[in-house]
Amino acid sequence: MSPLRPPRACRAARERLALHYYAALDAAEEETLERHLGSCPACAREWDLVKRALDALDPRAIAPLEPTVDWGEFARSTASRARAAAARERPVLRRGPWGIPAAARLTALAAVLAAALLALSAWLRTRTEAPAPVDGEPPVTMLESAHIIEDRLGHQGAARYLRDSRALLLNLVGPAAPCRKSDGHYDITLEKEKSRQLLRRKNLYDGDLLTLEDRRLATLVAQLESVLMEVTTLDDCATARQIHDLRERIETREILLRIDLMTREMQRREHVV
Amino acid sequence: MEADDFALMDGVKSGRSGAFEALVERYQRRLYRVAVGYLRNHEDALDAVQETYVKIYVARESYRPSAHPFTWAARILANHCIDRIRHRRAVPEQSLDDLPDGRPGRAAAALAAPDEAAPERQERRELGRTLLLAIDRLPARQREIFILRHFGEMRLEEIAAARGCALGTVKSSLHRAAAALRDHLARLDPALRRAEEEAS
Repeated sequence: MSPLRPPRACRAARERLALHYYAALDAAEEETLERHLGSCPACAREWDLVKRALDALDPRAIAPLEPTVDWGEFARSTASRARAAAARERPVLRRGPWGIPAAARLTALAAVLAAALLALSAWLRTRTEAPAPVDGEPPVTMLESAHIIEDRLGHQGAARYLRDSRALLLNLVGPAAPCRKSDGHYDITLEKEKSRQLLRRKNLYDGDLLTLEDRRLATLVAQLESVLMEVTTLDDCATARQIHDLRERIETREILLRIDLMTREMQRREHVV
Repeated sequence: MEADDFALMDGVKSGRSGAFEALVERYQRRLYRVAVGYLRNHEDALDAVQETYVKIYVARESYRPSAHPFTWAARILANHCIDRIRHRRAVPEQSLDDLPDGRPGRAAAALAAPDEAAPERQERRELGRTLLLAIDRLPARQREIFILRHFGEMRLEEIAAARGCALGTVKSSLHRAAAALRDHLARLDPALRRAEEEAS
């Protein structure tokens, strides 16, 4: 054993110092460690160093602007933003002209239809024998119907996302507005904000997009996300070089062309209503 | 306290008035510290916290009480931050080091508190930069686990559940992260360095 290597009891104690700091040891371990630290000056010094290092990582040092945030206002705006996002996601939940939620009306309608179908089916059973299933045409189950609806929702979300992203990218590859703050720079404040909005919307579509069976569409959506992310990381007054690199990336990947082709294909397949 | 959190999340799921606002207020500052630990930028961290709550609210019906609500929120936030960092790497920001002309980097400037006196600000900034550098140099898993424990104040079991790893992995990662940070600070802080020399 190397003469510099601490004894086993010391190694075991030092491996527990971080857990001791975070009070994550059980009572027995805690007692053993305390006893060892009381009798081993080297480990006591080591504990002092670890404690000082972790104490120095006070969240106030890492996040000095935390006290400047109006957290009450932040909570209110977060809640209203979340509600707005949820409302956009589920427009059927909006209330109808009689104050009855649309979802409730739809549910009631579905229940009435289901009851009518059950009654009709029972009546038919009393009059005729059940027909044998037709070969090659399996009946559409509830699960399959749900899957079809999910896929359609995914396509609708993707179609909106592609359409709006295309408009944004066209702005970026076209002649950009010069920045008033500094010569030779381009003002992309609006494009950045729009990119953020699109990314937020994409996050909201995520659930629907996960159900997409068309992997090409899913790949295009993912690549588009990385371009939008890149836009949000640029300065408000972007340099000509940054704009050039961004355009090159859009053109190299033929993103606009692929959006157009994909949109046409989706329309042709009549996935988008 | 924990039962309260689950009851609160039940309230959010069932649409109880004020439940979501209470959930936001309860976790927002802890989540913000976790986000700052990842993103090193005040605005980005606030944005990440809002995004997380939007996702929570939209997906509230899919929440299952097998995970603590904060664990669930932290997992959503961590995934969001990791995605954000991954995309940032394509166009790296000026993060921790100063620009070549001596001006502060973007993240350092973004995290500077505006109302401090100059010496305090300088001291805090230097310490902050040192610490951020030290955390930055940790291996990814250690860094993540350290951030969730130190800034997110999550229990070790919650971290294991949030990151899908064993409790033993969380403990060993925390030990290694703390040791690495202690070594880093010992090299930079004269007082710690002296103590180190005396010890050896």
